[in-house]
Amino acid sequence: MSSIWVLPAQEVSPAARLAAEDFLIAEAALLDDRRFDEWLQLLADDLEYIVPTRTIRRRGNGSDIDWESRHFDDNKASMALRVRRLTETDVAWAEDPPSFTRRVVANFRYTPGPTDLELTVKTNLLLFRSRGTKGDNDLIAGERTDVLRLVNGALKIAKRHVVLDQATLGTKNLGVFL
Amino acid sequence: MKQAVDLDERLRATVRPEEGAIPLFVYSDPDVYRLELERVFGRVWLFVAHESELQEEGAFVVRQMGEQSVIVARGDDGQIRVFLNACRHRGMRLTCEDRGVASMWRCPYHGFTFANYGNFMGTPFERAAYPPDGLDRERLRLIEARCDSYAGLIFATWQQEPEPLADFLGDLRWYLDIFAGRAEMELVGEAQRWVIPSSWKLPSENFASDAYHTATAHAFLARLGLVRGVDFGRDGYHVDAGGGHGLGMGVHDDRPGSWFPGDLEPEYSSRLSVDQLALLHRVKNFHGNVFPNLSFLIPNFIPVDGRLVTGMMLRLWQPMGPDKLQAWSWFLVEKNAPEWWKQLGRRMYVQTFTSSGMFDQDDTENWEAQTEVATAALTRADEVMLDYTMGLDAAPLADFPGPGTVYDGKFSEAAARTFYRTWLDLLLEEQR
Repeated sequence: MSSIWVLPAQEVSPAARLAAEDFLIAEAALLDDRRFDEWLQLLADDLEYIVPTRTIRRRGNGSDIDWESRHFDDNKASMALRVRRLTETDVAWAEDPPSFTRRVVANFRYTPGPTDLELTVKTNLLLFRSRGTKGDNDLIAGERTDVLRLVNGALKIAKRHVVLDQATLGTKNLGVFL
Repeated sequence: MKQAVDLDERLRATVRPEEGAIPLFVYSDPDVYRLELERVFGRVWLFVAHESELQEEGAFVVRQMGEQSVIVARGDDGQIRVFLNACRHRGMRLTCEDRGVASMWRCPYHGFTFANYGNFMGTPFERAAYPPDGLDRERLRLIEARCDSYAGLIFATWQQEPEPLADFLGDLRWYLDIFAGRAEMELVGEAQRWVIPSSWKLPSENFASDAYHTATAHAFLARLGLVRGVDFGRDGYHVDAGGGHGLGMGVHDDRPGSWFPGDLEPEYSSRLSVDQLALLHRVKNFHGNVFPNLSFLIPNFIPVDGRLVTGMMLRLWQPMGPDKLQAWSWFLVEKNAPEWWKQLGRRMYVQTFTSSGMFDQDDTENWEAQTEVATAALTRADEVMLDYTMGLDAAPLADFPGPGTVYDGKFSEAAARTFYRTWLDLLLEEQR
């Protein structure tokens, strides 16, 4: 006699899913805690970090995601430079004093690959950002597509694409990592 | 007390660019802003699109002139026109897209239809609704702005008999040739847009005139060893191009030889004069503003993967209110450039300027706070005057090959003074 408890999970094993979820939640905590040097260690050496632009189109008039126009177009070296700017100088005015941020990473969806050592994870990102004393805040929403890779027994982010949910960003700069 | 004073009188008494004196209230005063929409954005030539965006017949983009939405379209006859994005029946927005290809626009409210060259084409059940012969085709033509282009940049104005675009750009043309006309250019992808709680004037003035802030606001570049010394903003030229336009150029005479791709040299030399080409070969950075709100930039070259690279930018500061603007940012590149220059150039553009750009971020922090300070000061009884005197007594170069009033060294506020002189004359409706 069958029961619902014998249904197979997705093709990604529960253990791998749990490891990926733990990893991305811990990563978000590092960013919220501004532990940028430790965060940088989570990025693979061949990192591809791209945030495309959104546009307003009628249905049937092509994609509203423009990958040619980018909010971020970065690799490990440029991310390291952004982190050095924040951690090694006292002139990163846009984030000094720092924003208060709170990242909520949710709606995890897993696909194996692209390689045997990699796992693709789509998540929803809600990033709360507050600066100054006026009691206002910015909310940055988007969908991440991450490729996580097993490197010497630990997960690294090999690729991150973030499709933001605004054609015109409501935050005055992207001085925070997505 | 001050409310009783006529705004024209207050502007005339306090805005004194030639003395290097600008009052704080003009940054964010709502009455000043209303005048700007009417007398600056309602009258002068405004950048609306780049020719590379409208290659195909029927291609259109939706842009803004001041706060008004306009359609910039290449009609079926091949001509580019600019229309108010408003149906002639009830003023409904004709199209809500950022871009598309269309032979006509059909209003989503009652179905009034207009050809991509502006003609009214008809409306549903027209003879029954407007018997016996329907509506007058000519009377309901879309409201059209005058339109012209220079160096691939398309401008439009609401003036029915405007001064020629070439006259409006004046001495700036020589420098725009170098920036946008040295090769066939293309905008890559859609504009990146974001909202900054700042007066539109602050970034416009900054790009026209302000190389001085780089040593403080963008000090990280030197701190991280990417440029030599904190005075990287000084070496070069400051240009008061007249008509409210201004620019600055950094040069690298300490390391001679062009930093632009050698593959493009034949195209450059076919389009530039000998003097323009010689200046291009010295360019280390290049920033300016076409009055009122189109900024252009070749950011400082930075070494990447063993090559010196930069990423060119066009930037509009669209007014959204006295204390709010929408930034529109594009990557501009030579169409026939080698692939490495396009790819690395875009990466440099994104990482230095744009929403996430390491320079742009810090600028927004300043412009927002300046705007807040100005808004909070609107109720003050006294007049807060700001200092715009840098380079006031400097003698211009006599032997510089380019036009305009050119100063040796980038530390000057002459271009900002020109910006506010033109701005004031427009607000007061005074001819000079």
